[in-house]
Amino acid sequence: MKNFRTLRFLDLFRGLFESFGINYTVMRRILAVKLTMDGRRTPTIFNQQTKKKKKPEENGFMKSLGIYVLLSLMLIPFTMLGSNFLYQMSIFYGIVMFLVMTSMISDFSNVLLDVRDKAILLTKPVNKKTLNVAKTIHICIYLIFLTTALTAIPLLIGTYRHGILFLLLGVIGLVLVNLFIVVVTAIIYYFILRFFDGEKLKDIINYVQIGLSVSIAVGYQVLARSFSVVDMNITFTPSWWQFLIPPIWFGAPFELFLKHHSDFYINSFSLLALFIPIIAIIIYSRMMPSFERNLQKLTNNSGGGSRKKQWWINGLVNVICRSKEEKIFFRFADNMMRNEREFRLKVYPALGMSLIVPFIFMFNEIQLNSYTHLVTSKWYLAVYFSCLMIPNAVAMLKYSGKYKGAWIYQTAPLQSLAPLYSAVLKVFISNLFLPIYLILSAIFIGIFGLKIIDDLLVVLVTAILFTIICSNYLKGTLPFSESFEDALQSGGLKVIVALLCLAVFAGIHFAITFIPFGVPIYLIILIMITFFSWKQAYRTVWNF
Amino acid sequence: MSIETNQDVVLCLKDLKKDYGTKNVLKGINLTVQRGQIIGYIGPNGAGKSTTIKILLGLESEYGGKVEIFGEEINEINISYKRKIGYVPEVAELYDNLTAMEYLTFVGELYGMDLQTADEKARSLMNVFGMEAVYHSRISSYSKGMRQKVLIISSLLHNPDLLFLDEPLSGLDANSVMVFKEILAVLASQGKTIFYSSHIMDVVEKISNRIILINDGNIVADGSFHELKEQNKEGTLEQIFNQLTGFNEYKVLAEEFVSIVQRV
Repeated sequence: MKNFRTLRFLDLFRGLFESFGINYTVMRRILAVKLTMDGRRTPTIFNQQTKKKKKPEENGFMKSLGIYVLLSLMLIPFTMLGSNFLYQMSIFYGIVMFLVMTSMISDFSNVLLDVRDKAILLTKPVNKKTLNVAKTIHICIYLIFLTTALTAIPLLIGTYRHGILFLLLGVIGLVLVNLFIVVVTAIIYYFILRFFDGEKLKDIINYVQIGLSVSIAVGYQVLARSFSVVDMNITFTPSWWQFLIPPIWFGAPFELFLKHHSDFYINSFSLLALFIPIIAIIIYSRMMPSFERNLQKLTNNSGGGSRKKQWWINGLVNVICRSKEEKIFFRFADNMMRNEREFRLKVYPALGMSLIVPFIFMFNEIQLNSYTHLVTSKWYLAVYFSCLMIPNAVAMLKYSGKYKGAWIYQTAPLQSLAPLYSAVLKVFISNLFLPIYLILSAIFIGIFGLKIIDDLLVVLVTAILFTIICSNYLKGTLPFSESFEDALQSGGLKVIVALLCLAVFAGIHFAITFIPFGVPIYLIILIMITFFSWKQAYRTVWNF
Repeated sequence: MSIETNQDVVLCLKDLKKDYGTKNVLKGINLTVQRGQIIGYIGPNGAGKSTTIKILLGLESEYGGKVEIFGEEINEINISYKRKIGYVPEVAELYDNLTAMEYLTFVGELYGMDLQTADEKARSLMNVFGMEAVYHSRISSYSKGMRQKVLIISSLLHNPDLLFLDEPLSGLDANSVMVFKEILAVLASQGKTIFYSSHIMDVVEKISNRIILINDGNIVADGSFHELKEQNKEGTLEQIFNQLTGFNEYKVLAEEFVSIVQRV
C-alpha cells in the first residue's frame, strides 16, 4: 500500500493524538486503507467519461480534483471584480457550498454511511475513540482537498486584489462553511433514516449524484459566461428573508471588515456565520450515538414498500406491445430501468442535459439578436438536441449492475429473444425519451406557437427511427447482460457516426421547411420508413 | 460474586440479557466454556445466536449480566482481549475494493502484527488454499468461496486462542470443507477454543464436542451429541433440533407448498 503524503504530514502530530489516548499506529493504518479505497472509487464527475481500461493504479480522487480546479475558474470574477462584497461573496460561498455538498453526498456518502466499519474494525482490538477520530480525520482530509481545489485560485486572485485580510476572512469562512455542510448533511441523513429506510436514502443519494453530473456539465457552459453574468451594479438591500440563506451570512464579514460597512443586518449575518456552524457541530456531537443507531437501518430493510399499481404502465403495455412475450419483457425492462441505480446514474444525467442544452443555445441566440427574432426563426429545430442522448443511452441498455442475472433469458422456455429487444427499445422510447420530448415540445409550443406541431411530430418519428439505427449497438449482446465495468462510454467512433447521422436528419428537416407543404409530406414518408425499418430490424438485427 | 477462576475457563456468561426496545432477544444465558472445546452454537433464526456473538466481540454494549473472556470482564475501554480472538462473520463483510494482500496485512496489523510478518503469513496461507495467483487482485473480483477463504485467513492470521465462526463454510467446495474441518480439529487439539455457529446440522453434529441449542433467548440444550441423543431419543441432531425448538409441522408445510406448486 502506498505511503500517502497526507499521512506523512499527519505523522507530525503523532504526539498530539497520542496524548489524547489514541492509538496512532492503528489510526494511521485505518486511514491508509480508507484513502486507498477512496482512490479506487470512480468519482461521480467522471461518470460520463471514457473509461480507460487496464491503467495501473491511478488515484481517481486526485484526478477528480483537476475538474474542480477547472470549475473554480468560474469563481474568479466574484473575487476579482468590484467590491460589492456582500453580493459577490454570497454567490461565491453559495456555489462553493453547493459543489462541496453535492460532491460530498455523491462520493463520500458510502464513507459516512459505511456500516462495515463496525463489523470489520470493532471486532479487532481497535477502540471506539481511535475509530471515531480516524473517521473524522478522513472526512477532514477529503474536505480540505476538495475545498482547496475549488477555491485556491479565486482566493489568491482576490487576495492580490483586496489584500491579506481577504485571504484570512476567506479561509476562516471556508472552514466554517465546511463544518456547516458536514453537520447539515449528517442531519439530512439522520432524518431520512429516521423516517425512511436505507433504500430510500440510497435513492436520494442517487438523485443527488445525477444532479451533480448535470450541474457540472452545465457549469462548464456557465464558465465561459460567468464574466458577463456578474453584474457589479446590483444594489443589495438587506431584508429579513436573507437570514434564511446561509451563503449570505458568510458573505457579510467581507462587507464588515473590508469595507467597514456596519449595520444591523451585516453584523447579524456575520455573527450567524460564526456561531451557527459552532452550535451545529455541538448539536451534532450530541446526536452522534442516535445517528449511529439509525445507521443500522441501512442494512435491514424493513420491507413494506408496496409499490403503487401503475395503471398507466398496464395501459401502455397493451397499446404498444403486440405479443405476449413482448408484454412480459416490457414490464421487466420497465422495472429494471426504473430500479437500477447504476443505470440511472449512467443515463439520467444525459437526459437532464438534453433538456437543458437546447435552451443554452437559444439563450446565446437571444443575447446575439432578440427574443422576437428568435420566435420567428427556425430555432425550434433545437428540439433535435433531445435526440443527442439516444446513442449513448441505447448503448447502455446492454449493461446492468446485476448482469449475472442474465442467465434467466437462456433458461426460460422461449422461442426467440427478439421480443426482448423490441420491448427494451419501446421502454426506452416511452419512459426515457418521451418525457423529455414532451416537456421540450410543450415549452417550444409556448415560445414558437402552434405552427410548429408538425415539425415536432417529425422530430418524434425521427427519434424513433434514430433509436432503431442506434439499436445496432445492442447487436450481439442481450440487454442487461454485461457489467458496467466493461462499458466504454460515450467515446468511440460509433457514437460520432450516429451523431453525424442525426445531424443529417436535422439538416434534411431544415431544408424541407423551405418547401411549401414539405413538412407534412416528409412526416408521412418518415412514418412509412420507420414502420418498415422497425419490422426489418426486428427480423435481421435481433436474430443472431 | 465468584465466577470460576479456573485457568482453563476461556469464556463465562452469567445471566446474559439483551433487549431491543420491547423485544427480549436474550433472556438470561449462563454458559462456561473450557479451553480446547469446539462448541456448536445452534438455534433457529432470530433465537439470539448472532446477538450473543456480537456482545462477546464488543459490538453491542448495552446488555444485562456478566461477560468474562480469559478471566476478565469485558468493557469498552479494555479492548486488549480482542487480540486473542478471531472472527468470521456470517455475511462476508470485508473491504472488497482492496486486494487480498492489502486487506490481510491491514487486519494483521490491527491485531498488532508487523507488516512483514503479516504479509508472509498471509501469502503462505493463501498458497495453501491455492489462491497465490490472486493475492494481488481485488477481493471484489473473487468468487464466493474465495472471499470466504480470505475471511477465514483473516480470522486466523494472528493465531488467536478463541475463534468465533458464524456459518464459516458458506460457499466453500467439498474439498475445502474437509480441509477446514480438519484445521478446526487440529486447532482444538492444540487448546484453541472454537465457537461454531451454523444452520447445517450435519456438520455441527460431526465437528463439535459440545452442542448448545438456543431457542427464544434461552439455552434449551447443552451437552455432547451423545448426551443430547440419550436425553431426546432422536437419531440426528436435525431431529433433536426440530423437537427441542417445538417445530413439528414440517410435513404439513411441505405438503402445502407442493400442492401450491402443482396448482394450475
